[in-house]
Amino acid sequence: MTTEKKLTGGGLLFNVLEQHGVEHVFGYPGGAIMPIYDALYDSNVEHFLCRHEQGAAFSAVGYARASGKVGVCLATSGPGATNLITGLADALADSIPVVAITGQVATAAMGSDAFQEIDIFGLSLACTKHSFQVTDINDLAAVLHQAFAIALEGRQGPVLVDIPKDIQLAEVNGCLDHLVNLKNKVKLPPANVGSAIALLSQTKQPILYVGGGVGMANAIDELRAFAKTTGVPSVSTLKGLGTIDPTDENYLGMLGMHGTKAANLAVQECDLLIAVGARFDDRVTGKLNEFAPNAKVIHFDIDTAEINKRRVADAAILGDLKVNLPALAIPLSIIHWQEKCQMMKTDFSWDYNHPGESIFAPAVLKEISDNMPENTCVTTDVGQHQMWAAQHMLFDDPSNFLTSGGMGTMGFGVPAAVGAQVSRPTDCIIAVSGDGSFMMNVQELSTIKRFQLPVKIVLIDNAKLGMVRQWQDLFFNGRLSETDLADNPDFVMLANAFDIKAKSITKKSQVTAAIEEMLEHDGPYLLQIKIDAQDNVWPLVPPNTANDKMMEST
Amino acid sequence: MKNYQLTIKADDKQVVLERILQVTRYRGFLISGINAKVNTGTNVGTIELMVRSERSIELLVDQINKLIDIKEVKVDNSASQQSIA
Ligand SMILES: Cc1ncc(C[n+]2csc(CCOP(=O)(O)OP(=O)(O)O)c2C)c(N)n1
Ligand SMILES: [Mg+2]
Repeated sequence: MTTEKKLTGGGLLFNVLEQHGVEHVFGYPGGAIMPIYDALYDSNVEHFLCRHEQGAAFSAVGYARASGKVGVCLATSGPGATNLITGLADALADSIPVVAITGQVATAAMGSDAFQEIDIFGLSLACTKHSFQVTDINDLAAVLHQAFAIALEGRQGPVLVDIPKDIQLAEVNGCLDHLVNLKNKVKLPPANVGSAIALLSQTKQPILYVGGGVGMANAIDELRAFAKTTGVPSVSTLKGLGTIDPTDENYLGMLGMHGTKAANLAVQECDLLIAVGARFDDRVTGKLNEFAPNAKVIHFDIDTAEINKRRVADAAILGDLKVNLPALAIPLSIIHWQEKCQMMKTDFSWDYNHPGESIFAPAVLKEISDNMPENTCVTTDVGQHQMWAAQHMLFDDPSNFLTSGGMGTMGFGVPAAVGAQVSRPTDCIIAVSGDGSFMMNVQELSTIKRFQLPVKIVLIDNAKLGMVRQWQDLFFNGRLSETDLADNPDFVMLANAFDIKAKSITKKSQVTAAIEEMLEHDGPYLLQIKIDAQDNVWPLVPPNTANDKMMEST
Repeated sequence: MKNYQLTIKADDKQVVLERILQVTRYRGFLISGINAKVNTGTNVGTIELMVRSERSIELLVDQINKLIDIKEVKVDNSASQQSIA
């Protein structure tokens, strides 16, 4: 039957997706993308209907981050396309390879304020790595191949392809182009290996500052080997967590605003900062001109524009980390510094003592982390619960901790977990969410139900926009403005409405059994953990303050 | 404020000019003049961009260079100058 049918633009789209190994896409249909959904009908690609295009975009992000493959999402024109934007911005900020396909009104109607017409191509400029609008059916295959190549090449990122309805319907020659090579690739200046070796041979107190770029470059083994050979004590960014083995004796934890005391003090004292796939983000550096004030900098990256952007590099090592890290892995004699760092790590280790019956979120998250199966992938939303997860859960690979880093987007956790579960059907996926964030994409519970995804949701419920409340208490004289969520819905009943098993706990004595029940449950599960609304995330480096001047309590 | 003159060569692709303008504004550079033309034989566009900013021009050059359709970005030192004010 299908042999009779001529290939259309929509059919070609799925052929190219399959050529790139795409098995799963996330999306939501509508008028201007109907020919593509019609072609989906005949395709081998499996489509996951989300309940909001933002959910589809975050699921694509979660899919990409958990699997290392390109995430693909589809949306119709106008409001469908604009609903993708937050997800694309998130993917851009965290360098995640995503291809977004949007339907557009027919070319003849474009520019006439047609029904559901929005200039998504124009809107995409600030929230994608690159974008295309296809106006000739003969360009479609090449554009789609380029979209995949660009999403993955160099520093990864999201690419949008806007396809007008008549192009989706147009008949096209079935032959598929070969994968294109990118023209105009940025040519990297040669790595400054000589200067870097000189800096390494002089250093007494070096620190390895590990970012998300290492995992993205597939260079975890090389990074770990570098850390082992050199013996340099290491710290991690939020996105880098899992890159260094968290049980490594020279690893000091996360740095920055909510970093460990040991990590921040060590960075402030170091004489050489070796930044690898990291970009000196303001949440990492605190007051920039007092960040690691006595350090020289070796900066490894793939993106020329990150060198000297926020901190001047004394040696820039641009290019593939897999090649460059081994070239600089030389043994160093820094035993006294290692001992000092290890001592700080012991002296400032986490304290899980917490008086009273109420549940202490850091301790619960640690207990989940200690008991979750191997290769569990944790996603988070944004707020206090996110920082507690980053501080108190341990990950052995960055693809096992998916959190919205650069954009800090509430509503990320549940749809990202959907994407992660689709990409890794047999692994345990846990979304650590907050009561505020959870409600931002709560409709995705329907996606979980529809596909019977066994996602576990740990809802840290303080009935507050807790992180904002914490800042209001600390920096706005306790004037609590619009951060109370006492009127939240009954979350257990809400989960049950989506056929999701749920339980609520309020006391320490209930924690262990509840975690066990959740982890042993076959299907999706929501565990609501009510905590004291006054609990704060510590340590905290106040805004525009040097990282050694962290607050540790009120 | 420093004045700089950039000469950019780009593939003659959709919205390449908009992309350059967007990046220039976002990265903190004001545009004081622009000149753009396309060689229809080679499909290469040449854009001369006069910009000013407190920021170092390398920051902008690196960001424009990252745009997919860009072939080359040059800073014309003879035309770039420190403003007197
Ligand atoms: C989309 C979006 N809107 C607003 C914010 C600002 N914001 C950051 S944390 C936060 C509170 C989050 O509350 P909740 O999810 O309950 O987490 P908690 O801090 O209480 O753990 C807000 C409003 C944001 N990060 N993202
Ligand atoms: Mg909350």
